[in-house]
Amino acid sequence: MRRYELLKSITPLLTDEEFVICNLGFPSQELYSLRDSDNHFYMLGSMGLSSSIGLGLSMEIDNTVIAIDGDGSVLMNLGTLSTIALEDCKNFILFIVDNGSYGSTGDQPTHTAKGTSLAAIAKAAGIDSSVEVAGADAADKLAQCMKTPGPHVIVAKVEPGSQAMNPIPLTSLAIRDRFREAVKAAQAKT
Amino acid sequence: MSATDVNQALLRDLKANGADFFVSVPCKLLGGFISTLEQDNEITYRAVNREEEGLGICTGAWLAGRKPVIVMQNTGVGTLITSLCSLGLYYRLPFLMVISHRGSPGEPIGAQVPMGTAVETLLQTINIPTYMFSDPSDTKKVGQLVPFTDVAEGPVAAILDYDFWGAR
Repeated sequence: MRRYELLKSITPLLTDEEFVICNLGFPSQELYSLRDSDNHFYMLGSMGLSSSIGLGLSMEIDNTVIAIDGDGSVLMNLGTLSTIALEDCKNFILFIVDNGSYGSTGDQPTHTAKGTSLAAIAKAAGIDSSVEVAGADAADKLAQCMKTPGPHVIVAKVEPGSQAMNPIPLTSLAIRDRFREAVKAAQAKT
Repeated sequence: MSATDVNQALLRDLKANGADFFVSVPCKLLGGFISTLEQDNEITYRAVNREEEGLGICTGAWLAGRKPVIVMQNTGVGTLITSLCSLGLYYRLPFLMVISHRGSPGEPIGAQVPMGTAVETLLQTINIPTYMFSDPSDTKKVGQLVPFTDVAEGPVAAILDYDFWGAR
């Protein structure tokens, strides 16, 4: 199972009640091709910040926020795991696709391929609900986390590799504005 | 104006112009201002580990309708440049950076001077509207940069030196 198949296994869980921050180009293109929504913020640059954007959003809304992140990206912004722990947002899920590689740059191995455990780091940072699962079990775990108070960190172990995709045919401002409107509509409901 | 007064006046003027969500990375020049932020119940204030993380959190908050301000030392601009470009400028996120200016006259530590000298040029190189303030009576002008972020449709920087903070 690669990231594409993993994302395919979790997209049936998504409704327009959740808000998703998605990390970088390849994962965002894969998610876009599987399921697009105004509730998806495709973060196409700023590697490492999907988790922090998700945290800032989850502080402000009641809906479930899922930040889809990568192992290489989380390794670049480990400090935010401690902030996620301190903030203790019940509606926040950090879903880390851990394929042990820098997928966008030619699948060079990350340190998780050589023994670093992001789930153990997250737990030590103070996020009690931090777990590593096989990619095949990740959808069940995510479904469970969506029903229980977080914050949750799910580290889904998969094989390296990306699905060939076209760029997302949306401008950055279109991604931004439709997402912001969707958040506003969700806030108006509560 | 005493140091306490400038901290309170600055927060008052930022709030009066709509700022309601603050993150900070510490600086000795910002110590009093950060205490002022911590004591204010009308705003959201969080300490963060690093400026990029703060930018990410502010982005999430802005997407939910808040008006964020990043409070940081000029040294943090160096680590923030890439994210300022690929997040702040690419998505045209209107937030204010309130930046203390270490390495400017009044600075006792030589190691601060190279970045203190480079910071304005670095921000201008990536086309961030950047304004320097030395007078503590200018808190209103700094506050007016909050709505100016919407006019500029993107990040704006205010760099506040030793004289602004009454620190020399």
